[in-house]
Amino acid sequence: MADHRQRSGRRGQGELEALVLSALQEADGPATAGWVQERLGGDLAYTTVITILTRLLAKGAVTRERAGRSFAWTSASDQAGLAAHRMRKVLDGESDREAVLASFVTGLGPDDERLLRELLGESGSEGEA
Amino acid sequence: MGVFVFLPLVLPLTAWPIARLAEQHLHPRTATRLLTAVAAVMAMCSTLCLGLVMVVGTAQLPGNPLPDGWSDPEVRAAVPFDEVVGKAAIPALCAVVVACGRTLWRHGRVRRQAHRALAGLPATGVAVLPDEVPYAYALPGGRRDRVVVTTALLDRLEPAERRALFAHERAHLAARHHRFLLSVQLAARANPFLRPLCTAVSYTAERWADEEAARAVGSRRTVASAIGKAALVSRGTQVATLAGFAAPGPVPRRVAALLGPAPLVRRWPSLFTSVGLAAWCAAAGTAASAMSSANSAVTMVLILRAATPL
Repeated sequence: MADHRQRSGRRGQGELEALVLSALQEADGPATAGWVQERLGGDLAYTTVITILTRLLAKGAVTRERAGRSFAWTSASDQAGLAAHRMRKVLDGESDREAVLASFVTGLGPDDERLLRELLGESGSEGEA
Repeated sequence: MGVFVFLPLVLPLTAWPIARLAEQHLHPRTATRLLTAVAAVMAMCSTLCLGLVMVVGTAQLPGNPLPDGWSDPEVRAAVPFDEVVGKAAIPALCAVVVACGRTLWRHGRVRRQAHRALAGLPATGVAVLPDEVPYAYALPGGRRDRVVVTTALLDRLEPAERRALFAHERAHLAARHHRFLLSVQLAARANPFLRPLCTAVSYTAERWADEEAARAVGSRRTVASAIGKAALVSRGTQVATLAGFAAPGPVPRRVAALLGPAPLVRRWPSLFTSVGLAAWCAAAGTAASAMSSANSAVTMVLILRAATPL
């Protein structure tokens, strides 16, 4: 288990989630965790695959239904949707992310909105004239 | 030496007028480089001064690991009120080190997390994320620099405005703006008096990217309307400002600047205009303060070296 944890740490959570999700997308219809594990070449432990699938479920990237004693998993979003979800979490977690990532626009102050509409309105009418 | 040993700690105050003038009257590229350099030099002098004051003030305390010569009366004479100031310098220096360390750590962590979030997407220069929250930013480093933008923002922009957005973000990446921003953030942590420079540089860096985008797209108004629309779409993220400070925020000023004429890439305004005179005075003041900061720091080093038994 320690070995798997180490391996997943090295690979990065995001990368593992992407791997599992892409494997699931290649399946025709719902697939079991065992199928996903096989598809990935047995590189990951069964428990790791289950953990990642559960994490994807929490992010709304996969759905599951009961099939006998285990679950059958279906992918619900693509890689981009999953990336968007993860990115939102990074951004929401960082209160002053603007300090780190140069954002295209910063927030507007109390009077800024009115001022901005005035400026753009002027330029718009100039453009049409 | 007298009280002027402490000058490097308060002289960053003299950079405030130059920050305002540079922001308004210099080409954004020149202003960004100049202000970053000024902030870095002043922060280094200030931290060095803090360190030396701490050394002198604590050298006579029992059980310290410093050379005995550093507690000589001649050395202590260099710093007025050495005992009080020296002890006060210990927590101050610790605070500076901790704050800078935290800034660096957070910077690295956010960038790592953001790159990890994009794992699994094709390694293209632009990552478009399907998200209803409109945002866009430049993400440097990792395997490659990327521009991250959401569908919500792209949907609101005309094709020409999208090109302006991408040109803006690529300008950030190409000119390595994150390094300027990190430098001034660290400087502001090292000496809180440098915070106006930090605000000024984050504005001039955006203006720099705006100008680059205007050049790439060939229309200043397109860039202006892209910024304006993006800001109005994402206005849910209100900045907390005190009611008293109702000065226009950075976004309207950027838009207004783009609607005006392009800034000239002249080095400095002429001395014979009022703006030029003010700019030159401020520049001279900043240069003088940087010099005297460096002077007192160097003097302290020389005194300590003379007192160190070899």
